[in-house]
Amino acid sequence: MANKEVQKNGKFAGSSTLGKLSKIDPHGFERSDNFDYVSYEIFESEYLGVLAHRAKRWNQIIKDGDKKTIHSNGKVKRFCRKGIPDCYRAKTWMNLSGATKRMENSLDVYEKLLETGCSNDVELIEAIKTDLNRTFPENIYFNGKMTDDKRQSLYNILLAYGRRSPAIGYCQGINFVAALILLVVKDEEKSFWLLSTLLDHILPQYYTKSMLSLRVEMEVLKELVSSKYPLCQEVMERAQAPWMIVASKWIICLFIDVFPIETVLRIWDCMFVEGSKILLRATLCVIKQNETKLLLCKDMPEIVKLFESIKTDTTVLECHHFMQKCF
Amino acid sequence: MASRSSVARANNTNTQGKICQFKLVLLGESAVGKSSLVLRFVKGQFHEYQESTIGAAFLTQTVCLQDITVKFEIWDTAGQERYHSLAPMYYRGAQAAIVVYDITNQDTFTRAKTWVKELQRQASPNIVIALAGNKADLSNKRMVEHDVIAILQEAAAYSEENGLLFMETSAKTAMNVNDIFLAIAEKLPKNEAGVSGNRPTAGVGLAATENRESSGKSCCGS
Repeated sequence: MANKEVQKNGKFAGSSTLGKLSKIDPHGFERSDNFDYVSYEIFESEYLGVLAHRAKRWNQIIKDGDKKTIHSNGKVKRFCRKGIPDCYRAKTWMNLSGATKRMENSLDVYEKLLETGCSNDVELIEAIKTDLNRTFPENIYFNGKMTDDKRQSLYNILLAYGRRSPAIGYCQGINFVAALILLVVKDEEKSFWLLSTLLDHILPQYYTKSMLSLRVEMEVLKELVSSKYPLCQEVMERAQAPWMIVASKWIICLFIDVFPIETVLRIWDCMFVEGSKILLRATLCVIKQNETKLLLCKDMPEIVKLFESIKTDTTVLECHHFMQKCF
Repeated sequence: MASRSSVARANNTNTQGKICQFKLVLLGESAVGKSSLVLRFVKGQFHEYQESTIGAAFLTQTVCLQDITVKFEIWDTAGQERYHSLAPMYYRGAQAAIVVYDITNQDTFTRAKTWVKELQRQASPNIVIALAGNKADLSNKRMVEHDVIAILQEAAAYSEENGLLFMETSAKTAMNVNDIFLAIAEKLPKNEAGVSGNRPTAGVGLAATENRESSGKSCCGS
């Protein structure tokens, strides 16, 4: 990428909306009627400064590197924890996760997957089609309001993935993950390879029929909470509330629709470089932040309500601070 | 069309003395309209494209019967077969269940019957089960109308045999949505000790206060 272009585009998504927050966010999500514009503007006014600074730093490493590939090293890892600028996000995710390499080594594979059916195609297609209109219906790229609607691409990606990884096929939740990848990466084939890399290599067994890794994560979470925040675990046990009830969606959707989108992207910035452990780091961070409130909860409904409210919690919205607290 | 009058959209409309809390779970195949039924019942809304539910969603709604206020704690579960093994977590201790199918899709009815069987086998023994044939608004728009009627007859007979409440519903038009929840509220035992719970107490109603028992909330009067 030419340096000039880098400078011009060296900003994060959202930077153009200051002072005139639109009803649609930079990623195409329609803000709900009860969207808290005041808190968001306060957050954004601070975050834009952070973004500008990070963009400058990223421009530098891209300039110093070979401009084509971003290599993983200590500095890059640190940089990813501090957030990848929007203009470099797709490229960084692709490069550092290994998706670019997989794509380069697999010419025509994507195309062939779309052309050739598999044994459980009927079931697979039906399951995907059922969810196609139920994926981000509040996003203008997925609800027919834009000419460059992404539902066909989403369908193709999910179908190709299901055919390539029959042990997973299609699991509800992947639709949201694939859709967000598409929103960021934009290119359909690249999105497919990033999704494949994520589900097969970064998060193996999360979405299989037994959802083994999800169960393991929930057990590990229980152990971690027991040792780090034992009072929290006591509350959960008194209420007979397994962490699965609270946090399964967090892990399955990789925090989509759980946290504000800025925070989700920041977690993903780490996930593509460092792997799945960021998911539990973020989960523990939320639990820690809500410890006082959790200790006041008397039953499972109260606990569930508490954690449902994190989507609008400003301490989670302030993603830069939140990510710092995760580590 | 369902009567709205007895469904309180706010939780502070209790004028009666007794409040009963019940845990209710929705089960059924993916995309039959579980979340839509809940959204219609709790918020009076309907979205043509309802986002697929991952894990489960939790909502509450209160209905007023003649002498009693019933507060439903509703668990709306994910429908895909893959999430099946998580379901016991949600129906454990539930006093009521709505098993939903899509009236235009025979497979979803077959799936509904397996849910009923599972509940009969593994849920609380006194659980009140309602069968909801949803998307009733589509009943006369389909070319396969005779299939729809066949499913209806089978569902009615099946419900009769198994002692289920049964209604055809439409989250889209609101048809029978409040009614099915009200019918469940009517059928739930209000003063029997421990429907599923473990904290039976003397028959004392909670006067306009929340029931704060941490588990086994069979009812205020239990």
